[in-house]
Amino acid sequence: MRRILRLMMLAAGSYRREYVRCLQSSLAASVVQAAAYATLIPLLYELTRPQVDEAAAWGWFGAFAACYVAETVLRLYELRFQYSKWADVLAEARLRLGEKLRTMPQPELERRAAGDLSTVVGGNVANATTGVSTLGLLFTQLVTVPAVLGVIIAVVDWRLGLVLAVSVPFAVFFVRRIQRLSGSGFRGIDAADARAADRIVEYVQGLPLLKATGQVGRQSRRLADALHAQGEAMTSMQKRVTWPGLLASSVVQLCLVAMVAVGAALVLGLDLSPALLLAVAAGAVRFAEPLATASAMSQVFELTDAALERVGDVLACRPLPVGAPEARIGRFDLAFEEVSFSYDETPVLRGVSFTAPERSLTALVGPSGSGKTTITRLLTRYADPASGTVRIGGLDLRDLDPAEIYRHVSVVFQDVYLFDDTIRANIAMARPDATDEEVEAAARAANVHEFVSRLPDGYDTRVGEIGGALSGGERQRISIARAILKDAPIVLLDEPTAALDTESEVAVQNAIDALVADKTVLVIAHRLTTVAGADQILVLEDGRITERGTHAELIAAGGRYATMWAAQTRARHWRVPSTAT
Amino acid sequence: MSATISSTSTAEKREPAPPEGPPVTGPSPGRALIGVMEPVHGRLLTSIAVAATAAVLGVAGFALVALALRELLEPVPDPATVFRLLGGALAGLLARFGLRALSFHLSHLASFELEVELRTRLAEHLARIPLGEAQRLGSGAVKKVVQDDVRALHIAVADSVPLAGFTLAQPVAALVALGLLDWRLLLAVLALGPIVMIGMRLATRDYADTRRAYDEANEAINAAVVEFVQGMPVVRTFDDGTSSFRRFATRVHAFTRATAAWQESSRSSMIFSRAMMAPLPALVIILAAGVWLTASGSMSPATLVVALVIGTLPIESIMPLMWLAHHINESKAGAARISALLAIPPLPEPERPEQPADGSIRFRDVRFSYGPDGAGRPALDGVDLDIPSGTVCALVGPSGSGKSTVARLIPRFWDVTGGEILVGGVDVRRIPAEVLLRHVSMVFQDPFLLEDTIAANIRLARPEASDAEVEAAARAAQAHDFIVSELPHGYQTRVGERGARLSGGQRQRITIARAMLAEAPIVILDEATAFADPENEAAIQDAIAELTRGRTVVVIAHRLSTVADADQIVVLDSGRVAERGTHRQLLDAGGRYARLWAHHQRARTWALGSAARAEDPAVTR
Repeated sequence: MRRILRLMMLAAGSYRREYVRCLQSSLAASVVQAAAYATLIPLLYELTRPQVDEAAAWGWFGAFAACYVAETVLRLYELRFQYSKWADVLAEARLRLGEKLRTMPQPELERRAAGDLSTVVGGNVANATTGVSTLGLLFTQLVTVPAVLGVIIAVVDWRLGLVLAVSVPFAVFFVRRIQRLSGSGFRGIDAADARAADRIVEYVQGLPLLKATGQVGRQSRRLADALHAQGEAMTSMQKRVTWPGLLASSVVQLCLVAMVAVGAALVLGLDLSPALLLAVAAGAVRFAEPLATASAMSQVFELTDAALERVGDVLACRPLPVGAPEARIGRFDLAFEEVSFSYDETPVLRGVSFTAPERSLTALVGPSGSGKTTITRLLTRYADPASGTVRIGGLDLRDLDPAEIYRHVSVVFQDVYLFDDTIRANIAMARPDATDEEVEAAARAANVHEFVSRLPDGYDTRVGEIGGALSGGERQRISIARAILKDAPIVLLDEPTAALDTESEVAVQNAIDALVADKTVLVIAHRLTTVAGADQILVLEDGRITERGTHAELIAAGGRYATMWAAQTRARHWRVPSTAT
Repeated sequence: MSATISSTSTAEKREPAPPEGPPVTGPSPGRALIGVMEPVHGRLLTSIAVAATAAVLGVAGFALVALALRELLEPVPDPATVFRLLGGALAGLLARFGLRALSFHLSHLASFELEVELRTRLAEHLARIPLGEAQRLGSGAVKKVVQDDVRALHIAVADSVPLAGFTLAQPVAALVALGLLDWRLLLAVLALGPIVMIGMRLATRDYADTRRAYDEANEAINAAVVEFVQGMPVVRTFDDGTSSFRRFATRVHAFTRATAAWQESSRSSMIFSRAMMAPLPALVIILAAGVWLTASGSMSPATLVVALVIGTLPIESIMPLMWLAHHINESKAGAARISALLAIPPLPEPERPEQPADGSIRFRDVRFSYGPDGAGRPALDGVDLDIPSGTVCALVGPSGSGKSTVARLIPRFWDVTGGEILVGGVDVRRIPAEVLLRHVSMVFQDPFLLEDTIAANIRLARPEASDAEVEAAARAAQAHDFIVSELPHGYQTRVGERGARLSGGQRQRITIARAMLAEAPIVILDEATAFADPENEAAIQDAIAELTRGRTVVVIAHRLSTVADADQIVVLDSGRVAERGTHRQLLDAGGRYARLWAHHQRARTWALGSAARAEDPAVTR
């Protein structure tokens, strides 16, 4: 309970005070509501007397009506938060989550699946804030009204109050039980859902193959099994919560009948006036109402709880610390000093040391998984090394403000990310203040201008979601134009031409030539011809630098590099064999 | 940049953009919802009837409590009558809760069964529609329909159905009971009728417009969230996230404004329904009438107690319905998408099936367009091809020229718009899908793997194959060695989700082994496959060489040098055959292919930085 309250306050963020005030008015409204129900007792008592005092009866009626008006006003006040602040609270919570994502250490970001984070920032946070603004209030009402009314009934006649009070622990017990059962049930369903989803994706992707062997529809064992397991998981959950649900919702109302029965016995034993029993019964009916609602809503509470939990989990993430936020980069040489790095306990770099002088070209080669990409990533402070130091211009990256690092580093990777916006906006992203002329100049240098000017809206053409409408080479060139516009003194390249076909390749190569002129360059390449002219080539194997030198030196050494060079020369001459010969 | 590269117009480069989900062209959402529930209609009607009975018994139970109280008010109450009435009340209330739970139980079980049934139907339908159509929808969009949209029906089926029965029967029963007790109280409660009507009106009138506006804002924010979150890991590699955060923040604020505007417009109706659609105002009216009637001695106070209990039921019934309305709309939208997917016409199967005679392929004046019913820009515009059995044909051309379309029409991913395609001398439309797909193996860039063992993955192509045959295929695909030496359980190693435990080259060789096992006379190959894993290039290339031996091969070429030995090279441009011949012939012709070849030679020898640095002698190397 206290945990939920804490999470709710966390979700309310800077609207905390308004929220507390809203909860208070909800509490007041609930007390008034209970008071309204309580006035039914004297009112009915009055009406049941042999000689009805009309003035007194109308007086109590007036009290009831006044309570109604007061309650409505308080509820409207309470509603004001829910109505006019909900969107603000949600926006603030989303921005806070967004800020967390922006500063979260990259490995942490990658560990959480993108789909999962989208759910948190998109759906969970909305559920959580809705929960805060509606369920919080509902909960206040559900607890307060029966409590106040119960006390009043107990004061009027403790025996009747006791019978009603007996129902509460039962109801609470069953509600708890539903929550526990549905908690484990939901987990089972989630697992079955995830499996079924995977099987569906698999099914669609494998359709040509599955169709060839007749394993489709009901004949697809794997899919049919997963779908049945899914149905089973839901059915078993339903069966488990049916009885507790039934008991939770009925126990209170049944206690009401029990109360009337006990009361009737007392009346017949002349131990209680029938008028009083009648009056209490009228009030007690309202006692049962919110408790029944609570049991119906318990699963929704569970859902909100889970949502709050997940939002709180992301908000609790800490960004990488910055040692000296004022430090500025003055030179553009790179240095790795005895750097080691592990990814999920698996060492990826083991004591890597090298320096790359300003304006030099350094190539990283080696098998995949040898640590090449990790080196380029550590240079943008993807994460901090487990030991050792990464420096730019002699400064430890841990001391630098991330913005200062990014200002001086351009990255062109295989994965090109384009926003669903115009081509101009995508290029200008690197420097939002750039003029149209500057954007166009960068686009020309990157061989982008020509294909962009043939598009219907030129630079104002929207690229569509993640640039699906553009070819790989075109997207790659836009990302290079972005880097050229940024004109950062350090350039990191990761296999930028690996996935392109012939006609794109030449264009991208020309664009890269324009980008790297005069820069400190670190490049990852599989095709060794690309980097044969580098100032130094570092050969990585299993997280260590095993060879280093120029192309000529490494060939002369006759080691690993020389072997790779020979193998590639052979592969380059490979052809799809003609079957006719 | 040379003329060859720029000659392709941008329109042709664009592959048809996959739609977000199936087009919503089915019946109206409401009808679609009822339509998809068809398999469990009978059980849902039972659930409604049970729920309605529960509501009636509940009202009766409450009324009996009140009658018991009335008896107690008599000068000399009869204990037997009192307890008989209370016993009846208890039985009524127990039945109410029991039946209500039963009705929900029935509808829930029906709903779960419906989910399984619908998903199975969808899966079957997906196998009947053109393969290309299924792939164009995309596994993500299909998953959304099959999983999420089907799940969205749950609220409408499992919760709304019994609740509708209950909430419709309860007010009627309450009003009847009131009328029987005292017709004047009935009139008082009926006075609430207009209020209820107005409330319902207000709650539903704004609905369509405001919901649409809010939905749009909501969709926009969801898209923004997806872009922000999914882009973040990549964005963070070139930026500290400020630019994308700025975009995100802008959209978050836009959403806030849209929400605020919507809430502003629906404010008055909301306040009205909050103030009036609650038990308290109903109680005020009943009490006013009750005090007046009771004080004047023309009604028993016990009757008033009953009125106080059941008089508010009509209004209380409405609240859960309003609460559900939102979810039902989601269900409707989901039902519409489900119906739309089921409405995609299946690919016709031949009435008199024929078998292909050999591995030859022939295109006769083939026209094809990705648009609906063959409308739109033609992707292929009169293509003639003749690929004799056992020869290699390479398809060359810029992206969007029609290479992949040609490749995908052979296994009948779509039907041609005009002309015909013959495989083994038979029109593909006269070959049963299963036979055709067994006749043609496809090895594409993104290998398809099941989350299962290596052996199961290879055997997928021929489920009846023996272990020895599976191993032979793996050997030929250069996969046997890594399977037994590098994987913990050899052929019984599970590959992980989408083959996560294997490298790109290993996945590729597993799919090649599968194609080996299939022993199809025709192999369609995406040449990029050969370069999936730079470390294992040689092994993959050997595997492909083994696979293509003695078969008809159609290869989609990216790097020209690999297809120079092909029996024929077909150069495509804008959906037409621009040139064809052997490598030698095409070079001699000095046309498009010759220019591409020159480019290719240049790209191969590119060395980073050499151009710029050479011009600047000041830079010391």
